[in-house]
Amino acid sequence: MLRKGTLIVLGSLVAVLFSTRPFYSQINKGTIELSGTQRVSVAVSLLKNLGLPDDKRRISESIADTLVYDLNLSGWFRVLDRTAYIENPQTSGITAGSFDFKDWSTIGAEGLVKGGFALQGDDLSVEMRLFDVFQAKQIVGKRYGGRGGDSRRIAHKFADEIIAQFTGIPGVFNTRIAYISSTSGFKELFVSHLDGTGKQQLTSNRTINLRPSWSPEGRFILYTSYKEGLPALYLYDLATGRDTRLGTQRNSTMGGRWSPDGKQIVATFEENGNSDLYLLDRSGKTVRRLTEDPGIDVSPTWAPEGNRIAFVSDRSGSPQIYAMDVATGKTQRLSYSGSYNTSPDWAPKGDKITYTGRVAGRFHIFTMNAQGGEAQQLTSSAGDNEDPSFAPDGRMIVFSSSRTGRYQLHIMRDTGENQQRLTASGGGDTNPSWSPRLE
Amino acid sequence: MNRIRVLYRAVLLSGLVTLAGCPATQAPPAAPPGGSSIQPDAQGPSGIREATSPSDTPRGSLSEAQSGKLPIDAPTSPLKEVYFGYDRYDLDTEARATLKSNADWLKANVAVRVEVEGHCDERGTSEYNLALGAKRSQAVKDYLVTLGVAAARLSTISYGEELPVCREQNEDCWQKNRRARSVIVSGRPAS
Repeated sequence: MLRKGTLIVLGSLVAVLFSTRPFYSQINKGTIELSGTQRVSVAVSLLKNLGLPDDKRRISESIADTLVYDLNLSGWFRVLDRTAYIENPQTSGITAGSFDFKDWSTIGAEGLVKGGFALQGDDLSVEMRLFDVFQAKQIVGKRYGGRGGDSRRIAHKFADEIIAQFTGIPGVFNTRIAYISSTSGFKELFVSHLDGTGKQQLTSNRTINLRPSWSPEGRFILYTSYKEGLPALYLYDLATGRDTRLGTQRNSTMGGRWSPDGKQIVATFEENGNSDLYLLDRSGKTVRRLTEDPGIDVSPTWAPEGNRIAFVSDRSGSPQIYAMDVATGKTQRLSYSGSYNTSPDWAPKGDKITYTGRVAGRFHIFTMNAQGGEAQQLTSSAGDNEDPSFAPDGRMIVFSSSRTGRYQLHIMRDTGENQQRLTASGGGDTNPSWSPRLE
Repeated sequence: MNRIRVLYRAVLLSGLVTLAGCPATQAPPAAPPGGSSIQPDAQGPSGIREATSPSDTPRGSLSEAQSGKLPIDAPTSPLKEVYFGYDRYDLDTEARATLKSNADWLKANVAVRVEVEGHCDERGTSEYNLALGAKRSQAVKDYLVTLGVAAARLSTISYGEELPVCREQNEDCWQKNRRARSVIVSGRPAS
């Protein structure tokens, strides 16, 4: 039903957990601990070729490099430089006892990732292991099967597994970011993996496209486009490549968001210059008008339970974040500090809201408690920082920043730590939206 | 309605309007309206833009406006732009005076229909700026109506922060971008 193209591949991508011990509890008693801002030093060895002895360095490097990128991006790990590694991955073993942990403790590695692969025709099998170097034992091992082209996805999966071992919750490396980029001279819709691979331009209508929002199962991207004149809502189907108009409203839209259950959409429409929120069904038909206020009401985001919607309103005289109970319409103001607070995104766990606020003439990313309350400023760099979007695990935020002189996508922990640039394009990259977990 | 075509017509028409509306003694405009858009396709700001043929991207299209090729404030248009304060959509004295003269011209050219575009500077987020631009275009429309222009002749659209005329990061530039522009979409002006 969904992702026809990828399902076939996924069918053959089977992970087998070949260690059954409860490692997570052991880790906390072991030598590797995650504490505060200190990062765990990890070595990621190139993979050993366990198959036919011809040169398949590409797969080994692709998996190891992807793991290095993911672990560094996570903010929890510091991956040691490969040039410092002592042992030869092709001659040493990949199971505890078949290599010397001293080769790794000597260079300061607390954790070690080793693995092997075999490619037969287009069938790729990979086994990956994570070791605690000081305790000289394996933490987890996994075996994956797939196609030759699946090496990066397999690496992302094991990176997610490593994060799960250390934090109890898997990472989010098998996700994508939808965003708007003007690299072509026009604001078109793009998707890309976190590591910049798999970048796809989804629209090329040479008008203005804005504000992507993922459907909860990850198949559709809802966005706003001027391609037929007045800005309207469109649905891009990633499984088929089909792009269809959503709804028949005659008024301009300012963007919409899928509800967490995928059954509804909240969208902003303008009437006589005034923007208000409306509830739509999946086909785009208006179900109910949600706000009826002479001020601006725009930029909605759903609480994960689907019972509340946060949005921006200037009803108090300046743009501030409000939250509404969808059933009763009861609305409360959430943001009180600052005179410009916009583009809220509700955290997947429901506890927090991230948004853009203006401080001393510049724009920065903030979070606040979802009940309202004190704001925490996450960015403080030069340039403007806008349009934050939570990762599906709520532990990272993607946003657009002009700190390099042009708008590019950046990523950070939800604490503001570990800010890193994701995109390197020359044009403006804005309006990022983090996908759900995609398998 | 095909807006790209409409915008195309608008640019052509603003040329007609100019010729019709200029006293004979006045010097002709230095460049024809849309002049900048008939230059060969140079590389856009990003350096990646590919050349386009006139057939697939008519002059004055939204595409060209977005790539910064549309004549910026249509110096030859009889309808002048009005400007706004940061995060504001109220009309100041100067804006009202400008709109009074726009209204007079519209009342003398009753066949002309106009689309009022609302624009914002780049600061702030895109969705809020779309809503702000809508407020600005509506403020202009409402004021023109109070001055006696038939509402049916006036439509509105917001481009938010998406079509800046000036791309530097300073107040001068931002001020130029916080504007409402009236574009003639149909109807021949009275000669």
